[in-house]
Amino acid sequence: MAKLYADAGTTWSKVLEIYENEKELETSPLLKIDDLSAYAVFENGKEYSDHTGNRHKGRTFLLPSKIFSSVPVNFDGATGHMVKQRINPDGKYHNEIVALAFGARKKVKNLENATVIDIGSRDLKWVKFENGKYRDLDWNGNCGSVTGATVEMLCKFYNIDLAALTPQREKISVTCGVFAMEKIMDNIASDIPAEIAVARYIHGIAYNAWVFAGKPEKVYLSGGFCLNSCFVESLKFYCDVTPLGRFILIEGLY
Amino acid sequence: MSASDEKLIGIWGYPEPSVMEEIRKKYPQNRFIDLDINYNSPESGILPDAYCRIMKNIIDNATAFQQNLDVIIASVGREKCDSGWFAANILRDMGFKVIETRFEEYGDKFRETPISKSSLPLKDKINAIMDNIIEKQDLKLTQCRPEYGFWGVPPNDLDFLDIFPHNTHVYGWTRCVEAGRPADIELEMYVDEGIPTVFFAQTFCAKMQLAKYLAKKYNGIYIDVDDTASNSVKAKIEAFIKLG
Repeated sequence: MAKLYADAGTTWSKVLEIYENEKELETSPLLKIDDLSAYAVFENGKEYSDHTGNRHKGRTFLLPSKIFSSVPVNFDGATGHMVKQRINPDGKYHNEIVALAFGARKKVKNLENATVIDIGSRDLKWVKFENGKYRDLDWNGNCGSVTGATVEMLCKFYNIDLAALTPQREKISVTCGVFAMEKIMDNIASDIPAEIAVARYIHGIAYNAWVFAGKPEKVYLSGGFCLNSCFVESLKFYCDVTPLGRFILIEGLY
Repeated sequence: MSASDEKLIGIWGYPEPSVMEEIRKKYPQNRFIDLDINYNSPESGILPDAYCRIMKNIIDNATAFQQNLDVIIASVGREKCDSGWFAANILRDMGFKVIETRFEEYGDKFRETPISKSSLPLKDKINAIMDNIIEKQDLKLTQCRPEYGFWGVPPNDLDFLDIFPHNTHVYGWTRCVEAGRPADIELEMYVDEGIPTVFFAQTFCAKMQLAKYLAKKYNGIYIDVDDTASNSVKAKIEAFIKLG
């Protein structure tokens, strides 16, 4: 029987459905979602193995959290505050840091000495491993807030193609998207192109994430910023970076 | 919290026990009330918004119970903090009867700390230790080996303590209180090495520096909480315990 797992974020929610044969999908609870295929995320060559190593077929979806929360579907495993009440009786809930740690340990071979950072739309969390064992963690939901959401809003507002941004050596030093806005506006008012100002802001987020995580030498990056090359390249100014994608927390659930 | 005509003796911190006994005899009809605790008293607006939540409790509670408080025994020594001394002076200036005490010297006196090492739920341990200041509790305790540690003062928000397993030992100032040595810095800095310990301080409290330093020294985790623990703070503690 198919099983459902969810990482319910503030703006985006990730869903994984694992199954043994396609027939099971005909009765999937996800079919309650209108135009479900529009939210499918195809990951070429992706294997879905549970924590015991058993392989499964699977499919993943990226849903706006507004839609995710409006559909009455329960899950076999989930993470994220908004989904706590939507776990099946024999299902499992992990908080986001635990899911991140379990997911990273499952997906990264030889996770000996590295820090895994997850940047969401409104928070930042990291888990540090030493000699393959969990060593330290932190979660910033206040001063690191609204970072991802701010980038999305800025790009929409200034009609910026995120993929075309060039990493900037100069950065706007910010700890939170709310305070950043003023400095970005200052830059633009000083005739600096919006693309440059936003790239500087992205560099600022990368720098702050790196400092908040204790200035690690090696970072595995989780979350939507993995797809933001400007962010990844900015973070590389400071450390070695391996993007893991935005489904790592879900990997920690099964 | 208090009947409108009930007479009270307010305390905070850990006042000198002999002074408490003297006042108890002087006001035999009065009930002791620990002003450190959050009774959801209305905000007095006397202290700044960004300030230690425990000190705000003290001032807000005192003003809320002003008609009932015959006297306040104020801890103003190293067993409390400078803020306690300022609060004593503010309240005296406002017309309260305030007796200042310093409880800093103990000689060789050291009480055992069975509550800190017991298998009671963490919240019950901390409440029992603090209640002991006013009235000795008669408790049946089972000792346990520590699997986790909680270091710090009794938080304003006691509910997040429910996250901790029962085999969590208490360290820091709270254990000092149980030992009857609330300003014993050596005891306050003691933890069992190797036990995963959460080092807690109230936001804006001077003990934040000690908590952060000790967390690093003993591979623990540092948290500070202002009013109530946020979801991320709770998640950090959960993760620290689960991943430990």
